[in-house]
Amino acid sequence: MRDVRLPSERLKRDLRLLAVLVVVGLVLVAGGPLVLDRYSVSILIRSFLYGSIAVTVDILWGFTGVLSFGQSAFFAIGAYACGLAFTHYEISPGVALAALAAALVVACLVAMLVAWLAFGARVSALYVSVVTLVLSIVFVQVIYAGGDFTGSSSGLSGFDTFDLSAGAWFRIAGAGLVVITALGWIFVRSDMGSLLVSIRENETRCRYFGISVAWVKGGLLVASAMVASLAGFAYAGYNDVVAPDLGNFQFGTELVIWVALGGRGTLIGPAIVAVLVDFVSAYLSGSLPFIWELIIGAVFIVVIVAMPQGLGPALVSLIRWMVSRPAGAIAVAARLIPAPVRSTAILPETPAIELHKVARAYGSLHVLEDITFTGRRRELISLVGPNGAGKTTLIRCISDGQERSGGQVVLQGRDIGRRAPELCVHLGLGRKFQAPTVFDALTVAESLRVARSRIEPLSPWRRADDIRLPEAALRVVRATGLEAQMATTVRHLSHGAKQALELAMVLAMEPTVLMLDEPTAGLTKPERTVIGGILMELVAKHDLCILLIEHDLAFVREISSRIIVLHQGRIVLDGGVEEVVSSDLVRTIYTGEPQALGEPA
Amino acid sequence: MNNLLLDVVTTAGILFVVAVGLLVVFGVLKIINFAHGGFLTIGGYAALIVTQLHWSPWAAPPVALILGILLGMLVERLIVRPLYSRPLDAILATWGLSIVVVQLITIGFGRGTEFVLSPLQGAVALLGTSYSLYRLAMLVVALVIGGAIAGILQGTRLGLAARAVIMNETLAQSLGINSALVRFATFSVGAGLATMAGSLITPLLSIDPLMGVPWLLNAFMLVMVSGTSLVSLAVASLVLGGAQVVVSTYGNPVLGALTIVVLAALLLRIRPTGFARA
Repeated sequence: MRDVRLPSERLKRDLRLLAVLVVVGLVLVAGGPLVLDRYSVSILIRSFLYGSIAVTVDILWGFTGVLSFGQSAFFAIGAYACGLAFTHYEISPGVALAALAAALVVACLVAMLVAWLAFGARVSALYVSVVTLVLSIVFVQVIYAGGDFTGSSSGLSGFDTFDLSAGAWFRIAGAGLVVITALGWIFVRSDMGSLLVSIRENETRCRYFGISVAWVKGGLLVASAMVASLAGFAYAGYNDVVAPDLGNFQFGTELVIWVALGGRGTLIGPAIVAVLVDFVSAYLSGSLPFIWELIIGAVFIVVIVAMPQGLGPALVSLIRWMVSRPAGAIAVAARLIPAPVRSTAILPETPAIELHKVARAYGSLHVLEDITFTGRRRELISLVGPNGAGKTTLIRCISDGQERSGGQVVLQGRDIGRRAPELCVHLGLGRKFQAPTVFDALTVAESLRVARSRIEPLSPWRRADDIRLPEAALRVVRATGLEAQMATTVRHLSHGAKQALELAMVLAMEPTVLMLDEPTAGLTKPERTVIGGILMELVAKHDLCILLIEHDLAFVREISSRIIVLHQGRIVLDGGVEEVVSSDLVRTIYTGEPQALGEPA
Repeated sequence: MNNLLLDVVTTAGILFVVAVGLLVVFGVLKIINFAHGGFLTIGGYAALIVTQLHWSPWAAPPVALILGILLGMLVERLIVRPLYSRPLDAILATWGLSIVVVQLITIGFGRGTEFVLSPLQGAVALLGTSYSLYRLAMLVVALVIGGAIAGILQGTRLGLAARAVIMNETLAQSLGINSALVRFATFSVGAGLATMAGSLITPLLSIDPLMGVPWLLNAFMLVMVSGTSLVSLAVASLVLGGAQVVVSTYGNPVLGALTIVVLAALLLRIRPTGFARA
């Protein structure tokens, strides 16, 4: 077995390394103007600023999966705030501060608008790319339309600006890049960083853990927009020129290209590539103007096609291969400890779940009609019925207020109304999907912590050593052997282990009503027995109400306390196990073969 | 008023011609070909070469079409095929290709603005107004292209295979349809349609290495709201193109340039399926 370390030990070691790198970076930045020629200093100021935005693009895209083409527009908003203020007002500390404030506020407001548009519940993942693309187009046209005020297509130049030497700007921009990269690095390695990756990996699963994905992504977008705007402000302050091209879609795409070249999800790679490419471009644009861009474009295609992880990681793995160090990296995983039992204020006699005349229709097609039943704690209700009976649709109607077209769903005495899944979860709902829905890129420990984040907030700068799990979740983790695999990346788990992990994750948020869509599909007989035993225990010892969709009738018969039979979107039978199993009606509609229900498989 | 009406329908025709190649590729391959703008530019320069060789301007569209199909074959094989399972990366790689195309054209032809001859000159009297013959011809071209694609989809084996791949690729494969070949053929045709569109729009405006970008953006938004349906694309071109004409005529050209992208983005927010039937 591998040597497993605690996250805090690992972080401490990493932070020492980071501190050394930051010091080296700051020394280089401080000494740069003393050894570099004037032209290089001037170019590097711009390159450093671009590097900072590339870092924000990487956090958005590389870690969280939000592909924005409009980060250029936020950069240009900052630049124009500076340019417009200094062109139209006499320069003074007050004006400079007001301009800076305007740069941040406008970027923040525009980013909020974009987030509101782009992270709505029903739109596709690509939509944020569309909106940011449109943002950059609109920005350029607004500048064109601004006439003399914005300088139209020729931009603004020659305004009075800060009385700072190029060396000072170099140090400001360089230190800014070092600080932003370091802060970003700490952030993505924190527990919150795992959350970003989990959003990239499976947004729906996150929402069903009660995480407000739209707010997380919106918050990141706003923060990145403000950093980009700040960089733009510095750009205009130093260069004394702003142009509409700063905000166009081509520049927005170039930022994405740098991130892809440097290695998405590596932070340092994009920062280095942005600085290098911009710096070299400035030198070569004189001698080889078009060839250079041609090379960048061609290299970009090759990298995307052949090494999607980017140049940085490709280089690192090449070096690793050449020095042929054993690949066994140190495993890191948190300790599992039992969570304190939370006192529930809900009266035990309140039904866990009540459905009243729930219906779902697609146009004139009625998938569900008149579904009314009540589920109490300590009940394990199996929903059975042939394919197409509406079982999964019913689960969706219970867990997402937008889904049903009529009727009422009440969780622990509270009507779910039109609540989104993440808010239904707050009412005590847990849902396990049919196919194992997990976060492939995280470790088992990280997954459990993300799943628990609604109850124990994640730190944006450190990693907790302990994961507190309720007894039910601990029981699953221990009984299925996941405890020995805490440091394993989820993608390497077996199908059964993934099913168990998802169940443990759902239980980690301490639901009252647990909905399971064929939790034993694809499992071996022994695995199924373990899961069945756990489910019965959850009901008996932990007071859960479980709604189970299952096709394996022998399994259903063994563990259920009650069975509801759905047929063509209606409840045809609702009763005790023996009553339902021995019903002729059920035998006929479910299988067409009267003996199938009675015999164990 | 009649002039405005003709502007609306001919603009819709032009937009349809420009976007249809992107739609075809998106429909079958489920990837957005950001090199579409590059192909449009190549088509424009193909028309320029035809003009410079003193060939008949009628030769430009077929020359562009053939050139585009050949280039499309090459690009599908080398760049697009490895990225089928990574649609977002395909957007980026094809955008990289667009950059390469723009730089190659800049190296070859310079950054200057060029003009080509129009095969159809002059105006024709229609609905009580005198209207550009070429713009009217574009409407006919749009109808012909739309009809031809619909005909291929409905009436040929390749079309049947393409429809099967559009609906359910895995099932199509398991039924013995060579979906790799369908993708290859579709991408090549899509590229050819783009270059042909590039050559067709050049008589209406000037040619420069970056001419493809604004068209790409409009075409991209139109395809986003149309999904994979030719009819939806026609409707989207008519509605959004019409809005653009109206805004440019009664509002101002800057707003007009934004009309399609902004309206399409808002439409997608309100109705994620756009003009496509859900």
